[in-house]
Amino acid sequence: MHFDFSLLTTELSMFILGLATFVLGLVVPSRSRRGIGAFALFGLLAVLGLTVLNWDQQGVLLNGMYLVDRYAMFFKILCLSTAILVIFGSLRYVNEHLGNHFEYYSTIVFATLGMMVIASAGDFISLYLGIELMTISFIILVAFRSQDGKSLEAGIKYLLQAGLSSAVILYGFSLIYAATGTIVILEVAHATLQGQASPLLIAGMVMLVAGLGFKVSAVPFHMWSPDVYEGAPTPVTAFLAVGSKAVSFAALLRLFVAGLAGVHQQWDILVAVLAALSMIIGNLVAIPQTNIKRLLAYSSIAQAGYLLVGLVTASPAGIKAVMFYSFLYVFATVGAFTVVAVVYNKIKSDEIADYAGLVQRAPLAAAVMLICLLSMAGIPPLAGFVGKFYLFSTVVSGYLWLVYLGLIMSMISVYYYLRVVLVMFRDDPKDPAPIEMGSAANITLIITMVATIFLGIYPNPLSEVANSAAISFFLK
Amino acid sequence: MENLFVSMAAGIRSLLGSGGLSEWATDFLVMFLKLGAILVYILVSALWLVYMERKVSAYMQCRIGPNRVGPMGLLQTTADIGKLISKEFIIPKDADKKLFLLGPILIFMPPLAVFAVAPFGKGMVAIDMNIGVYYFLALASLSTVIIWMAGWASNNKYSLIGSMRVVAQMVSYEMPLILSIVGVIILTGTLNMSDIIHAQENVWFIFLQPLGFLIYLIAAVAETNRAPFDLVEGESEIICGPFTEYSGMGFAMFFLAEYANVVLVSVMATTLFLGGWLAPFGLTFIPSWIWFLLKVYLMIFLFMWFRWTYPRVRVDQLMEFGWKVLVPLSIANIFVTGIGKYLYHSLGW
Amino acid sequence: MDNVYSLLAFVLLAGMILGSALLVVTLRNLVHSVLWLIVMFIGVAGTFLLLNADFVAAVQVLVYAGAVCIMLVFGVMLVQRPNMEHSNPINWRFKLAAPLVGGLFIVIGLLTAKSQLVVSGQEVPAQTVQALAPILLNDFVIPFEVAAILLTVALTGALLLVKEVKANGNGS
Repeated sequence: MHFDFSLLTTELSMFILGLATFVLGLVVPSRSRRGIGAFALFGLLAVLGLTVLNWDQQGVLLNGMYLVDRYAMFFKILCLSTAILVIFGSLRYVNEHLGNHFEYYSTIVFATLGMMVIASAGDFISLYLGIELMTISFIILVAFRSQDGKSLEAGIKYLLQAGLSSAVILYGFSLIYAATGTIVILEVAHATLQGQASPLLIAGMVMLVAGLGFKVSAVPFHMWSPDVYEGAPTPVTAFLAVGSKAVSFAALLRLFVAGLAGVHQQWDILVAVLAALSMIIGNLVAIPQTNIKRLLAYSSIAQAGYLLVGLVTASPAGIKAVMFYSFLYVFATVGAFTVVAVVYNKIKSDEIADYAGLVQRAPLAAAVMLICLLSMAGIPPLAGFVGKFYLFSTVVSGYLWLVYLGLIMSMISVYYYLRVVLVMFRDDPKDPAPIEMGSAANITLIITMVATIFLGIYPNPLSEVANSAAISFFLK
Repeated sequence: MENLFVSMAAGIRSLLGSGGLSEWATDFLVMFLKLGAILVYILVSALWLVYMERKVSAYMQCRIGPNRVGPMGLLQTTADIGKLISKEFIIPKDADKKLFLLGPILIFMPPLAVFAVAPFGKGMVAIDMNIGVYYFLALASLSTVIIWMAGWASNNKYSLIGSMRVVAQMVSYEMPLILSIVGVIILTGTLNMSDIIHAQENVWFIFLQPLGFLIYLIAAVAETNRAPFDLVEGESEIICGPFTEYSGMGFAMFFLAEYANVVLVSVMATTLFLGGWLAPFGLTFIPSWIWFLLKVYLMIFLFMWFRWTYPRVRVDQLMEFGWKVLVPLSIANIFVTGIGKYLYHSLGW
Repeated sequence: MDNVYSLLAFVLLAGMILGSALLVVTLRNLVHSVLWLIVMFIGVAGTFLLLNADFVAAVQVLVYAGAVCIMLVFGVMLVQRPNMEHSNPINWRFKLAAPLVGGLFIVIGLLTAKSQLVVSGQEVPAQTVQALAPILLNDFVIPFEVAAILLTVALTGALLLVKEVKANGNGS
């Protein structure tokens, strides 16, 4: 049997990096473990370089069980960039609040590996195991501050959520298998495109919407996310909010647009309703929040709603819009959470009220927070505006009500984003001492800010890359 | 002699067939009789093994052992069972009554079910199961929970400590037990016990898998909770472990089940490593089932020898030895066996 | 179901599985729940046996009834209660849950009855074990390796979380 290992270059190098990080952590004496973070960082950068170099490499392994196309590559690059930004921005946070355990870095690497498997998975079993690898790594990361009750509570909640959603996803897979007799997504696509939609397939599809709805924290499957986001260590929250959500969308697209395209009529309204609910509830409940992490959690529920809009039409334009939006969402979210982490390092609080006068204490952090929040709200000329434009333009014909709803909810979201900005810029600080953040965090913040502004003004390159990736998705 | 039991089965079958029974009913009845015969063998054998144990220990300690009831004390254990049956079966007031009663009933199930697939001689296997070895491992793992259940239901601190020790010990030693058998399975490429025995026609696996045999032996002693790994019922610390509250026949059931388990692991050792019912040196005039029983009782004697030679180990020593010595060694054994088989094939021997 | 006996066996096994699963959820005593869970797993193994999947049945017994439940036993023994009565907290919101679950069950049952199931018409191979290795190590090698990584991560992660608690306990 021919097995092309070169298609697995990124996954294999990621696996070796994870093991090397772990073994190195065991071998080196505890006082020189500081370097492990840097090691993992450079390793991830190398893997990122390798992935970009392999951009043109395409192929199918094991009769469609593992798909290496530009679509998968795009999401792999996205996850790697997120992991790099998260590690780079929080080296100090990890030292001070997580006891500088080397396992933190190896677990992040393995979680990223899980995300890569999800992005490339071409059958239900690979997909499920990828989801589990990512989820179990996240359970460990979420509960990492095990002296902290909130972190443990978040870990338990995430564990229960993960178990429940896995059960629902597996049930969905088994029903689809019973209806079509195959577990390979492309063969499922053949079966659904040829035959009539069997009722069992529809039941399985509903299960998948629910199970993956948990993963992307769409309403009404969102209950876990504010508590988990609040309790988890802040860098982990950023990673969870971006990486986990983005690859869950990758799986959703792969399953629904590629696999269940034949029953599009049955699921588009379901997804549209989920999108609408997520936008409404996420944005409205965010308004009364007083904790910045909870606020960002509800905002991320709303963002899941926006992203689901791109799924509704099952068109290349929709896929491109989802990919584009999730990539710029990386910068906005990681930027915002990095600010939260560096501020927490100093003032030991996540309350919005304690951000008073942040602009006097840490001008860069305040500026980045401003840019990121405005980008999430979709104010031109920032990247979020372009992303939302792409997303909503796909549904203008046919789902105009969704467009109006999205616009209204975006306006509402401006209110609570600006409330944070107002506190940072208008109020006087209680303690005017400047917050020094360390050069690594500074560089991360500058990267996210520049990327957010740049993608807003000049979105063409990323847009073209997303376009070619979306086209590769349909070439089967 | 060789075909004594096989022709007995054939005779019964033809007798039933001539009686006008359908083929299906005949098969069913013959199977029932086979399993019944195995059941009787196990119970009788467990009974006499108690006598054997006492005699072996006595000679090792320069005593005589039981010698009053029957010729050479042969009926001693029968008398003991009679005594135990006539004793009152006390159920403690705070015990979980149903589980407490279920314990001694269920404890015999796993070993009895496993014996159904044991090959006692040429053509003498009640059910020739495709996955025989795996079936043995799967069912043997159930004993743990039953002992734990009995200990917990007793509602006694010694029982609880003992049952937690059972759980810890049996789980830890199941790993090396399973992994040590994998070497044999790599060599034969089958899980069927008859096929494994046939594969040993030229050389017994004890010579090809000496390390595997050693690990199996140690792990088997621990799995049957016998000295030097009998922490579960370490008398000096926790009275009688999970069985503390059991009296009369309830206690006797656990006691006999231990011996049934000893027979079981000896049968497995014989099948997997000692060539089963195959006769050594071409001594085929002795029937295969006699060879099989000889080897089994040799193994049982070895277990008794262990018991009366070594002192009991400590809990932490037990755990450390299991996880840090036996498990790595058995994994190394699998590794070496796999490479060895590959080399063997590629050299074309 | 080719004959009435396997149908009968299936009905009995299904009753055993569902009944013991219900008891696992509703019984007040956590230890009894664990024991019924074992009965449930053995019932599932029986169903596999009925489908001629003898190896999977043995795996079910060894891994679930023999090992997973032992892990649960350890968990139960860490529950700090003077006695095990009422150790399995249940909210008896049956009025809400029963119609919901029952409705879902009926809907899925109806959908199943209405749809055409894909049945592979292949014969059951005489040797069920030998075919497993090529399947695991050729056709499903990527999921197989991912599962291996997954277990490694879970193991180290569990150790990490437990170690941390212990260090904390010593410190305070």
